[in-house]
Amino acid sequence: MEKVLDIQNLHATFSIQKKDYEVLHDISFSVNRNETVCVVGESGCGKSVTTLCIMQLLPNNGKIKSGSIYLDGTDLTKLSKKEVRKFRGKKMGMIFQEPMTALNPLLTIGYQMRENIINHRGVAKKDADKMAIEYLEKVGIANPDKRLKQYPFQLSGGLRQRVLIAMVLSAQPSLLIADEPTTALDVTIQKQVLSLLNDLKKDMNAGILFITHDLGVVAEIADRVVVLYAGRKVEEGTTKQIFKNPQHPYTIGLMNAVPNVDLDEFVIQPIPGTFPNITEHIDGCRFNPRCPRAHECAKCFVSAPQMIEVEPGHFVSCHLHG
Amino acid sequence: MSQDRKVLIKTRKLKKYFQINKTTNLKAVEDISLQIYEGEKFGVVGESGCGKSTLGRTILQLYPQTSGSCVYHGKSIQELNPQYIQKEINNLKNYQKKASDYYQESLKIDKEIEKLYVQRDAFDANGNSNDAKKYDALSLKIAKEEFKSKELKKNASRQLREGSRTVGSLILCENIDEIAKLFTKAQEEVKKAHDCLVKLNGLRDKYDDNAAIINQKATVDGLIAEIEAKQELSEVDEVHLNDLYATKKKVANADVKKLQAENDVLYPQIEELKAKIKEHHDIEMGYRDEAFKYRGKNILPITERTQDKAYQDKLDGNYETGINLSKLTKQELRRIRRDMQMIFQDPAASLDPRQSIGKAIEETFAINTNMPAHVRKEKTMQLLSRVGLKREHYYSYPHALSGGQKQRVGIARAIALDPSFIVLDEAVSALDVSVQAQVLQLLNELSEEKNLTYFFITHDLGVVKHFCDRIMVMYLGNVCELAESKELFHNRLHPYTDSLLDSVPRLTLQEDRTKEVQILEGEVPSAMNPPKGCPFHTRCRKCMDICKVEKPEYIEALPNHFVACHLYSKKGD
Repeated sequence: MEKVLDIQNLHATFSIQKKDYEVLHDISFSVNRNETVCVVGESGCGKSVTTLCIMQLLPNNGKIKSGSIYLDGTDLTKLSKKEVRKFRGKKMGMIFQEPMTALNPLLTIGYQMRENIINHRGVAKKDADKMAIEYLEKVGIANPDKRLKQYPFQLSGGLRQRVLIAMVLSAQPSLLIADEPTTALDVTIQKQVLSLLNDLKKDMNAGILFITHDLGVVAEIADRVVVLYAGRKVEEGTTKQIFKNPQHPYTIGLMNAVPNVDLDEFVIQPIPGTFPNITEHIDGCRFNPRCPRAHECAKCFVSAPQMIEVEPGHFVSCHLHG
Repeated sequence: MSQDRKVLIKTRKLKKYFQINKTTNLKAVEDISLQIYEGEKFGVVGESGCGKSTLGRTILQLYPQTSGSCVYHGKSIQELNPQYIQKEINNLKNYQKKASDYYQESLKIDKEIEKLYVQRDAFDANGNSNDAKKYDALSLKIAKEEFKSKELKKNASRQLREGSRTVGSLILCENIDEIAKLFTKAQEEVKKAHDCLVKLNGLRDKYDDNAAIINQKATVDGLIAEIEAKQELSEVDEVHLNDLYATKKKVANADVKKLQAENDVLYPQIEELKAKIKEHHDIEMGYRDEAFKYRGKNILPITERTQDKAYQDKLDGNYETGINLSKLTKQELRRIRRDMQMIFQDPAASLDPRQSIGKAIEETFAINTNMPAHVRKEKTMQLLSRVGLKREHYYSYPHALSGGQKQRVGIARAIALDPSFIVLDEAVSALDVSVQAQVLQLLNELSEEKNLTYFFITHDLGVVKHFCDRIMVMYLGNVCELAESKELFHNRLHPYTDSLLDSVPRLTLQEDRTKEVQILEGEVPSAMNPPKGCPFHTRCRKCMDICKVEKPEYIEALPNHFVACHLYSKKGD
């Protein structure tokens, strides 16, 4: 299978009061064409920073220390600002959590879509309109020609998110990054958007990198899953492997913490403790203060665990599997 | 099971409209009738804009309600002695008179209408153009008059309904003056009992304080010795020990004999007051019983329904034994707000960034009680450790806390005054799953410990299923379905509940799913211009013709399982 995105040994830091703190530590994973990869984790675990690294949109105090990000074979970290602009939006498109802030409230949907298409596809204005309508139809918007004349405030949250998806698709990207695109939506609308993304995946000819904290959404959409904790990858595998046979205590804890609608009896089992701050220094495995099984193995408090392949395609970083 | 449980809050046809402009109302909450039992975790689910938050706030009277009633049973009338009851009693005669006037006027109009019918029928509707015009004009006039008469009749029964809140079906009696007198006498007894109660509370506080000091003085040395005897002191022990030293210092100068003597005097006084309150209560009930002897006798023919036994029973059902929240004055409402608290969705927004956590919690005591400063601080410290925060957090500011910790502060503030009812408006929605589970666990413990009643608003069906005892599903300001949580998930009656449950992202893999899920199309219509008939019919898969015209009635389709859908109403058969 062809790799659209390949991240290798990515390290990123944020400097706070002139001191560097590592927010991403040795992250490696890839996204294949026509595949959806979900990155899961709690807030602060580095999922959004990963997307910002890929888009080269880190804030001024953030920096990629080492590692490489290959998009269609080009290392994005080596490109100049000007060169990255050619990739951003064209080869990789991003859908944000809050669709209202991602659209310009003063311009019509049509203007914003046209601008995007003319920029990235290099077509004339007349053809751009036609293409805009075509893509709006693709994402399931009724009366697309009417919608083109409307402003973002006239659309509901679900429609705005569909417009953004259409906009990203119209550039025919190789990689679509979706950063919690359904978190702000109601469940019924969320279901609509997720099934739309599932349908599009087949004929879009791109890879989808989907960021979420909701394991239910993961089961709904993902082919493969990457679990992050405190800036480190703790587990990676196919959706089936992760759900049927989770290996890392953190993944298991996450699964148990979600109140499952399908179960009749459910005892709430929180992961004890709180998420570590990036300024906090923890010896050994970053998860050890909250890990229910840390006492079983002395190494947990001494050294950071290495990635181990427990079954084909299923990686876990935990001393219990060393 | 619902029979032996005590009702805490009862709403009847509660409505909340927001006025957008002169002609448009946003109908946020429409005719909600429900009972919330004591110690229950009552869940409300629905999409955004369905009115769940508005309902929670309307119950707390944070929004003034448009119509309907919301009665609170957590406090007795004696404890609060609200002013509105006497006003209502004085107004009884008025209600009766107004109802009668409205009805008589409507009868007059009815007679007019009959005449108009005769006039109209003299013209041939299909005759020449002049005749037809007159016919149409008269038809229009008849329709207008009929509407007027109907409104007047509605007003008449509205007046009777208002009156029946205070006296039940007695509002129909001819002897309303005597009844009002008896109720006034009963109300005087309530006031006396209330005065005694206020006095009693003061004495009891003093008595308890004294007893606590005597007890502390007797035991503090022993407790200190016990901890000091330990080989190794844990963190908790050290904190505890410091507290004990402080207590020792405080009670060192206390004169046990004097305090004991004081309490010996207080005790008989307290007992006496208790007896007095009981006495007043008995007299009060006596007056009420006397008044209720008139029930069903000398009934005035105010409207045509007043002789109807079923109607009288209905009015009796309106008789309120609790406190009608919407009629309280501002000061009275403030006193009752201690019993009814709220926890908000965004913990960061509900804390002042420039106020330390300790001060934020302590403020509650400073406003609502007259505790001295050191007691307030002590209480705050206890609260902090109760909700799983450290004592150091007293001095930290909100920015230093994580989301889960901030929500714990919100909980500490809400439970500070020992409330009986808490509205949780999406209290765990903004938290990460692992932290969300921690907070839910804490809420569970607290509800058992303090017998709290929760009104839990959320859009997360997984949380509501495992946290709540009963669940209400709302759509566009209306109730769709209400049942115990297991029953609701196993036996979904309303098509909306069905679609909503199907939309929840499952934790099972696609390949393991057995049920073919249909996606709910479309979006929620605007509440400013809700669809006619059943509000859900625009998106409903099982929509029938009747759904587009008539609003379904809210019925008990199965025992303790209520639903508003034409599929289950008798008319649909």
